[in-house]
Amino acid sequence: MIEVQGLSKRYGAQVALDGLDLNVPRGEIFGFVGPNGAGKTTTIRILATLTVPDEGVATIGGVPVTEDPYGVRRLVGYMPDFFGVYDRLTAQEYLEFYAACHEVPRHRRRRVARELLELVDLGDRAGTQVDTLSRGMQQRLCLARALVHDPEVLLLDEPASGLDPRARIEIRELIRELRRMGKTIFVSSHILPELEELCTWVGFIDRGRMVEAGPMDHVRGRVLAGRRLRVELVEPEEVRLLAARDLIQDRRGVIAVEVVDEGLEVTVEEAFPDEQLLTDLVSAGVGVRSFARVTGDLSEAFLRLTAVER
Amino acid sequence: MTWSERLVRLFDNPLVVKDGVSRMRSWRAPFVITLYLGLLGLFGYAFFVLAAIYPQGQRVGAAQVGASTFTALALIQLSLVSLFAPALAAGAISGERERRTLDVLLVSRVTPFGIVWGKLVASVAFMLLLILAALPLFAAVFLFGGIDFQQFVVTQLLTVTTALAMASTSLFCSALFRRTLTSTVVAYGVAFFGLVGTLVGGVMLTVAAYVRTGSLAGPPDAHPLLFANPFYAVNQLINEPSGSPMHIGRLLQLLFALGGPPVQVGPTLEPWQATILVQLVIIVLSLFGAVQLLQGWRPLVPRREEAEPEPAEPPELPEGSRA
Repeated sequence: MIEVQGLSKRYGAQVALDGLDLNVPRGEIFGFVGPNGAGKTTTIRILATLTVPDEGVATIGGVPVTEDPYGVRRLVGYMPDFFGVYDRLTAQEYLEFYAACHEVPRHRRRRVARELLELVDLGDRAGTQVDTLSRGMQQRLCLARALVHDPEVLLLDEPASGLDPRARIEIRELIRELRRMGKTIFVSSHILPELEELCTWVGFIDRGRMVEAGPMDHVRGRVLAGRRLRVELVEPEEVRLLAARDLIQDRRGVIAVEVVDEGLEVTVEEAFPDEQLLTDLVSAGVGVRSFARVTGDLSEAFLRLTAVER
Repeated sequence: MTWSERLVRLFDNPLVVKDGVSRMRSWRAPFVITLYLGLLGLFGYAFFVLAAIYPQGQRVGAAQVGASTFTALALIQLSLVSLFAPALAAGAISGERERRTLDVLLVSRVTPFGIVWGKLVASVAFMLLLILAALPLFAAVFLFGGIDFQQFVVTQLLTVTTALAMASTSLFCSALFRRTLTSTVVAYGVAFFGLVGTLVGGVMLTVAAYVRTGSLAGPPDAHPLLFANPFYAVNQLINEPSGSPMHIGRLLQLLFALGGPPVQVGPTLEPWQATILVQLVIIVLSLFGAVQLLQGWRPLVPRREEAEPEPAEPPELPEGSRA
C-alpha cells in the first residue's frame, strides 16, 4: 500500500533522509521506530505531500506523492505530532469543517461527524467547544478528523505523545479498531513498548536510513537471533539456579542461558519446543514458579541495531 | 466543471464559514461593530455641526452641509476600514501556522488558492458587514442633498476595493511571516504607506513639480502617487463633480519624472478609476504571492522543522532494558 524507494531529503547541511526504502502492505499497522531526529517526521511529511523529497519515489496505493498530491490526499488521513484546534468551534462543527475541506458532500457531513464522534467515544461532547476538551479528547478528535474522508491509509506521527496512560490506551484501542475496519496504519513513535503491543509490522530508522523492516516477529527473530524465555524458580538460591542452568544449556535449540534477577533467561531458536523444556524441568525436580516468554524484545532489537550502526 | 459551478465553489469555501462562525461568536465582533459605528457617527456628527456653522465650498445651504458631511464620513470610513483590515487579515495564515493547523489544511483537498481566497473572503466579509451597517449613516446625508447617487455608489465601491487591497496585502504578509505579530506590524506599515505615504509623497511631488515649472502654466497636474490614493480619489470625486481626469501618458510622464510638454496620449482616467485600477493590481499580486508562498516558496523566516532538526534523543525504552 505504501512504497518508498531511495527517498532522500536534506535541509542545508543536515541529512534528514538518506536513501530510505520501505514497504507497507495493505491492512497492516506499521510501527516506524527511531530516535528523535532520525527522519520519522520528514518521511511522514513526504508521504502526506507536505514536503517534497530531493530524490526517490514514494507511492501510496500506487499514486506517486510528488506527481499527484491531490490524488494522495484522497487516500491519506494525516495526524501530525503537534496539532492545534480552533477556538469557538464545537467538536461537531470542527469535524464538519474538515469534512467540507475534504469535499465530503454537504448532506453527509453531519452524519459523518456524528459517527466519527461516536467512534472516538466523544458522542456526548458533540456540542462542546474543542479548545475546552482535555488533551486526550483533543487527540481522539484529531484522529476522528483524519478519518472524515474515509481514507485507506492513516499517517500518525507520534499519536500518543503527551498523553497520560489512560489516554494512550484509548488511542491504542482506537488504532486497533481502525485496523479491523481495513485501514493501513503508518504510526511513528519512539515509545517502543507501546508500538510492540500495537504493530504488526515494524521498521527501524536511524540517521535517515532504514536499518531493518518487516513483520514484527520476523524482525525480532532476525535481529535477536532467537526468542527469550524467562524461568523463575520456587527457591531461587544460586545453587539451584546454576543447576537449572546446567540442565538447560546443553539442550538442542538453546542459544544461551543467563542468570538475571534471581531467574533464568533462556535464548532459544524460533522452533524450540517451550512446553518440552518445562516438562523436563519439572520431571527433573526443579521447582518452577513461572515460565514465560520475555516481551519487550523490540527495545533490545532497536538497541542492537543502532549499536551496530553507531 | 461549468463556470457557474466554479463561481459557486469560489464562495462555497469551508474556511469562510468556519472563520465567520468563529469570529461572530467572539465578544470582539459586536464590540468592533459598535466601536466602528460609534466612531463613524461621532465624527460624522462633529463634521455635520462644523459644516453647518462654518460653510465653505461652491455649494450653498443644505447641499454644502450634505457634501461636507458626506466627504468627512467617507474619509473616516476609509480610515477605519484601513485600520481594521490588517487586524482582521494579518493573522489569518500566520495564525493557522502558529496554531499548527495549517499543515492539516494543506493535506486536505483545499488548494493553496482556496485557503488564501477563503481567508480573504472571510476577512472582507466582516468589513462588508461594517460597511453595510454604516449605510444608514450615509443615507442620512441624502436628506441635505449635495451628493448624487453615482458619487455615493463610487465612494462605497472605493471603500470596498480599499478594504480588499488592505486585506490582500495583509494576507501576503501573513503568508510571508511566521509570526502574527511581525505580520501585523508589517501589514500596518504597508497600509500606512498606501494611505498616508502616497498622500504626503504625492502632494510633495506635485508641489515640487509646480515650483519647478512655475505657476504661469496654471494649476499643477496631480502626481500619479495621488492618483493611487483613495483619500484623494474620494475627495476629488465629491468636491470636483466635473471631474479631474488625466491622460495615462501624462501620468506615466509624471511618474517617471520625464520632462517636456504635457503628454496627452492614451485614455483619460479619473482619480477614482486610477485608484481602483492600482488596487486591483495590488490585490492580484498579493493573492498570487500568498498562494506561491503557501505552495512552498521559502518564507523569510525559516521553517522550524526544517531549520532546526529535532535533537538526537534515544527512544523511550522500558525500565531496565538498557542495562
